[in-house]
Amino acid sequence: MTDIKTRIKTIIVEELNFEDLKPEEIPDDIPLFGDGLGLDSLDAVELVVQIQKHFGVKIQNMDEGRAAFRSINALEAFISERLNG
Amino acid sequence: MKAILKGIGVVGGFGTGIQTLEKVLLNRGPTVESLAVPDPQTLGGQFFVPVDTRQIQDRFPSRALRRIDHFSRMALLAAVLALEDAGKPEVNDRMGVIVATGYGATRTTFAFLDSVLEGGDSCASPTLFSGSVHNTAAAQISMLMGICGPNLTVSRFDLSISEALVVALIWLAEGRVTSVLVGGVDEWCPVLSHCYHRFFGKNDLSPMRPLDPDRQSAVVAEGAAFFLLLPEEDRADGYGVIESVTTGCLRDDAPVLPEDALILLGADGHPVSARRYARFVPKNRKMAAYAPYYGSLPIGMGFDMAIAGLTLRRKRIFPMPEIAVKDVPIDTVPTDSVAWTGKVCCLKITPFDTYGMITLATQTGNPGN
Amino acid sequence: MKPGKPVAVTGMGCICAAGSDLAACMTSLFTGNPNPGPPRRFTSDHPNPYPVFELTASVLSGLSREQNLSLTATLGIATARQALEDAGWEPEALRRIRTGVCIGTTVGCTMNDEGFYRIYRSGKPPDLTPIRRFFNSNPAASIAKAFDLEGPCQALVNACCSGTDAIGIGASWIRQGLCDVVLAGGTDELSRVTYNGFISLMITDTGPCRPFDRDRKGLNLGEGSAVMVLESDRSCHLRKKAPRVFVMGYGSAADAYHLTAPKPDGAGLKKAIADALSSGGKTMSEVAYVGAHGTGTPDNDRVEARVLHELMPGVPFFSTKGHTGHTLGAAGAIQAVLVAAFLKAGRIPASAGFHTPDPELLIVPTVDSRMISGKIALSESLAFGGSNAALLLGIGENWI
Repeated sequence: MTDIKTRIKTIIVEELNFEDLKPEEIPDDIPLFGDGLGLDSLDAVELVVQIQKHFGVKIQNMDEGRAAFRSINALEAFISERLNG
Repeated sequence: MKAILKGIGVVGGFGTGIQTLEKVLLNRGPTVESLAVPDPQTLGGQFFVPVDTRQIQDRFPSRALRRIDHFSRMALLAAVLALEDAGKPEVNDRMGVIVATGYGATRTTFAFLDSVLEGGDSCASPTLFSGSVHNTAAAQISMLMGICGPNLTVSRFDLSISEALVVALIWLAEGRVTSVLVGGVDEWCPVLSHCYHRFFGKNDLSPMRPLDPDRQSAVVAEGAAFFLLLPEEDRADGYGVIESVTTGCLRDDAPVLPEDALILLGADGHPVSARRYARFVPKNRKMAAYAPYYGSLPIGMGFDMAIAGLTLRRKRIFPMPEIAVKDVPIDTVPTDSVAWTGKVCCLKITPFDTYGMITLATQTGNPGN
Repeated sequence: MKPGKPVAVTGMGCICAAGSDLAACMTSLFTGNPNPGPPRRFTSDHPNPYPVFELTASVLSGLSREQNLSLTATLGIATARQALEDAGWEPEALRRIRTGVCIGTTVGCTMNDEGFYRIYRSGKPPDLTPIRRFFNSNPAASIAKAFDLEGPCQALVNACCSGTDAIGIGASWIRQGLCDVVLAGGTDELSRVTYNGFISLMITDTGPCRPFDRDRKGLNLGEGSAVMVLESDRSCHLRKKAPRVFVMGYGSAADAYHLTAPKPDGAGLKKAIADALSSGGKTMSEVAYVGAHGTGTPDNDRVEARVLHELMPGVPFFSTKGHTGHTLGAAGAIQAVLVAAFLKAGRIPASAGFHTPDPELLIVPTVDSRMISGKIALSESLAFGGSNAALLLGIGENWI
C-alpha cells in the first residue's frame, strides 16, 4: 500500500489536474495555497471531496480544512490522526 | 443596428482557423463523415468527429488551462483566433463577450453526475459542478483573455447563434460596448450521440446530403465559431457588415428572404428540415449548404456565418461537396467556385417551426476596400 | 454609454416559497416567518439535509401542468400569465404586435436528468421521455409557445445573474424598437443536481441562511419564477396604460477573476452599478435603497458590503434571500420584481436572517421594515464565472 503522502500528491496531480507536475516533484513542506503550489478556494473544496473519497476522512468545514491544507505534511498528519483516532 | 465583422475564429472536426476552413471549402473536403472515428463509449455504438484544441497550449500556460474542459477549450481557442484574425486589437473593459450554446458543457455535466452516482452525494465534485454551468466558457474567455466588459451566455438550441447576435448588435448600438466577441460552442458527448441514434436511427456514415428530402444523413459534430464585431461607425476594414439579424416563427409570409442574396441554408442532414427549407426557399434562389464540412450541431449557424464572411471577402461562392448535391432537384447550388458580390444570408430553420436569419453585405465606401 | 429612456413595467408576476403571487410574496416579506426545510421532492444521502425554500404542495398543485413540460418552464408560463393579467393584456392581443420573451434560467437549459443517466450508465437504453422534456422545455421558447408569440426569444444562462440580465436586455429590446412588449424575467426549479453541487462547494448553510450576518455560513437554495411585462411608450399610449414602475437602466460586467469566487475588490460589481446608473442617466445620490444579491455566503456578502459601503454609505440595503432562498436563474428577476414592488409600496422590509453585525463588513442591512420616499432603487446580482449585473428601477408619473 502506497504511503499517505504519495497518495495525497497523486490526488493533487490527477484530480486537481496538475498535468505539468509529477507527484514526486511536490515537496512535503510546500504551502498548498497562495505562493506555494497555488491552489485556490475551488481546489480546497475539491480536495475535501477527494480526501473523503480516497481516505474516508470527512473535513467538516473550511476552518478545519485551512489547518489541514497547510502542506502535504499537515494533511498527512490530519488524515493519519483521523484514521487512527 | 449593424456591425462590422472584423475577425473570425473557428474550431471544428475540419481543423483550426478560418484559413483551414477556407482550404476545406476550396478542396471540397474532407467532409465530416470521413473524419469520424468509432466511439466505444456510446451505448449502442456510434461515431464521433474529434476536435483537436492543442493549439490553445501555444497561447496560455498549462497551469492556466488545468481546470478548463474540452467545451471551454474549443470556445477559448475560437475566441482567441477571432481576435488574432482581427489583428489582435487591445482588449479593454468595453469589450463584451456573448457565448451561444445549444447544450452547454455536456461531458462535464455528465461527469458531475458520474461523481455523484459513483461516490454518493457527499462525493459530488465541486470542480465538475462549476464547470458544468452553461456560462463556464464565457467565464473562462473573460478570465484568460482579461475581458472585463459585459459577459453573457444564451441558449436556444439551433437559434442560439442568431439570438446571441441580436444582443451583440444591441450592445453595440447602445454604446454599452465598443467591440464584442460573440460566438457559439457545442460539444459532442456519448449520451447525446446515444439519444441521437435512438431518435434518428444508427448513423451509417454515408456522406451528408443536407438538401436530400428523403435521407437521414446528419453526422453529429462539435466545435466553436467566434467573431469580433465592431460598431458600424468604426468603418474598420472587415469581412463585411452584418446588416440584420431576425428570428421568428415560420408562416406563409415568413421568413422574408432578402432580395438577391445568396442563401446559406443551415440544413444539416435531417430530411424533415430539408423539406422545410425546400418549402420556404424558392427553388430559383442562389443557395448553398455547407454542413457536410462541419457537421450537425446546434451552433452550426456560426460556421455558416464564417463561410458568409469568407464569401464576402473572396467575392466568390464556394462549391458544395459533389456527392451532397447529386440528384438534388435544385439547380442553383454551386458545384464550382462562382463569382459573387451580392449579399449573403444565413438561414436556420428549426424543428420547432421557428427560424433565424443573419444577413451580411460587403462594406461600401470603406477606405480599406 | 448613451443614457436611454425609462422602460415601462406594466405588469409583474411572481411565484416562490414566499408566496404564490406577488401580493402574497409582499405580505410574507413584511410579516412572514421564513422556515426553510429539507427537500421533499427528492432524497439525498447527506447525513444532515440542508434546508431549502421549496414551493409548497398547494402552490405546486395549483399550477396547470402540461404533459412533459419541466416545472421550470411551467413556472415561467404561470408567472408570465400573472404578469399579463396584471398588465391587462389578453394573450391573443399580443399576437398582433411584436412581443419578445427574455428569460433567465440555469436548470431550465441543462440536459442532466439523473434518472435517465443512471439507467444509461447501467447499459440499458433508457426511456427518452426526459430527453424529449428537455427539448420541449426551453423556458423562453415555452413561454413564447404558450402565448403564441413571435418576437425575439432568448433563454439567458448566465448562472445567478440570468434573471437580472434578462430584464435588462428585455428593456434594451424596447428601447431599440425591436419589440412593443417583452416578457422578461427568470425561472428555475429546485433540482437534486444543483443541490448536490452547491453543497459540494461548501457554501450551503445547514440552517436558515443569514445574509450579511457575522455568523453566516452559506446560502439556502430555492425555486420560483418572476416575470415583468415591459412595454413601449407607443403601446402604453395606445392602451392608455399608466405604468408606475420603470426599468431605468441596466449594467453588467465581468470580474475576469475566478470561476466561483467574486473579485475581492468588487471591480465588476462597481462597473455594473456604474453602467446601470449611466444608462438610466442617474447618479448614485438618487438611489433610495439597494436590493442586494445577499446570498449569505461569506464571500458574496463581503464583496457586496464592501462595494455598498464604498459607493453608497448610509443607503439602506437588504437581501430577500432569507424569504425566497437562492433561486439561481430566477433570483435576479424575483428580486427585481420585489424591489419594484417596494418602490410602489413606499416601504422596504427587514433583511431576513440578519441578527448580528459583522465587524468586517462595516455596514449592516435593514433590521426593520421602514418607509422610503425615494424614487430610484438598485437591484444587483453576482454569479459564478464572475458575472455581475445591476438593474436600476424607478417610479414616476411623467416619464412617458
